[in-house]
Amino acid sequence: MATFTTGRGLMPGLTLIVLGLGAVLPAFAHHSFALFDHQNRITLTGTVIKFEWTNPHVFIQLEVPDGAARKHYTVECASPNVLTRVGWKFNDVKQGDKVTLLINPLRNGQSGGMLEKATLADGRQLSDGNPPAGVFPRS
Amino acid sequence: MNIRMISLVAAAATFGLAVTHAADVAKAPGAAAAPADFTGDWQRYPGFGRGGKPDPATLPPPDGKMVLKPQYQGPYDAKRAKERASDAKGEPIAGSGVDCLPYGMPEMMSAIYPLEILQTPGQVTIIAEAFSQVRRIYLGKTQPKIEEVPPGYYGHSVGHWEGKTLVVDTVGVKESVLGHSEMPHSDKMRITERMHLVTPDILHDQITVEDPVTLEQPWTFTFAYKRIANYEMLEYVCENNHEYIDDQGVTRLRLQDQEK
Repeated sequence: MATFTTGRGLMPGLTLIVLGLGAVLPAFAHHSFALFDHQNRITLTGTVIKFEWTNPHVFIQLEVPDGAARKHYTVECASPNVLTRVGWKFNDVKQGDKVTLLINPLRNGQSGGMLEKATLADGRQLSDGNPPAGVFPRS
Repeated sequence: MNIRMISLVAAAATFGLAVTHAADVAKAPGAAAAPADFTGDWQRYPGFGRGGKPDPATLPPPDGKMVLKPQYQGPYDAKRAKERASDAKGEPIAGSGVDCLPYGMPEMMSAIYPLEILQTPGQVTIIAEAFSQVRRIYLGKTQPKIEEVPPGYYGHSVGHWEGKTLVVDTVGVKESVLGHSEMPHSDKMRITERMHLVTPDILHDQITVEDPVTLEQPWTFTFAYKRIANYEMLEYVCENNHEYIDDQGVTRLRLQDQEK
């Protein structure tokens, strides 16, 4: 079952990201991130179907138990460049890994979102590196 | 002609060739002969690197103001307002980045990811990690008339040294390539860059954009970069773009179950 966390109270983390990772502001030049809901976050715990270490974005395809069924989520991450800078490696995630992803869900209600933080199978926690949309003006 | 005379002629010819060769090299300095050496990897500065407060003496000067002619300012403002409104609704209208196309000039120099600069005899080459963009600046060459340059993403660039400053002239950027801050431009746009080292590890690129069609006045802004030691540029192929533009011009995320 997908676990839902509260969506508010984002400011402290947001400030931290701005101070620590202003470095990655230009990643926003690729597209507006307004399609994701940055006021709300959900936590997904599931099994990795595919880890796509690609440009313009890295993607984690995740299957999450949903009652008796399973629900598929497409999770957009930053780029290999940005993720590398915050400690990721191309082989950190593998098919079949059990991971927990904190994401900003798609605003249109579809089962996808933008990664904020990942807890990998080995317990390591890695951020997505990107500041949330709206923190900086659209370029 | 005796042997001695032949030797003299041969020596003169050799000497003459040597002089010509030296002159060629002087006209076309590579990294070793150039007044300044920008060779290396660079990231935007300040703000993109982590840690440490920047030395104010190394910061770029404030940007000038982009002043469009009224017939361009109105549509520009309307477009930005529409972008803000669509962002607020969560249905962002698509920018050029959604198509996975390179930024072109001058936005390529904003260096969202690092730049690599290579100086070789007669040429300075700038490679942007983002979208694997490449521009070549030909030294000591004459810029053709604008109307003779085939339009492209990076335009045609020629450069020369003024002291330790590399001055670069670029024309021939496609009108579909949006400028810095999405500035609209015509096929008459001319970009002048003045690149110089502020310290051995801080590079400034002062960029002046002139466009007699869209701009009221030249617009100058400066990108600054900090040298990155021991960096290896990453490959960038825009192969897995899940964003797409729907029939309303809105950016959407393609989910895996929509791909089949």
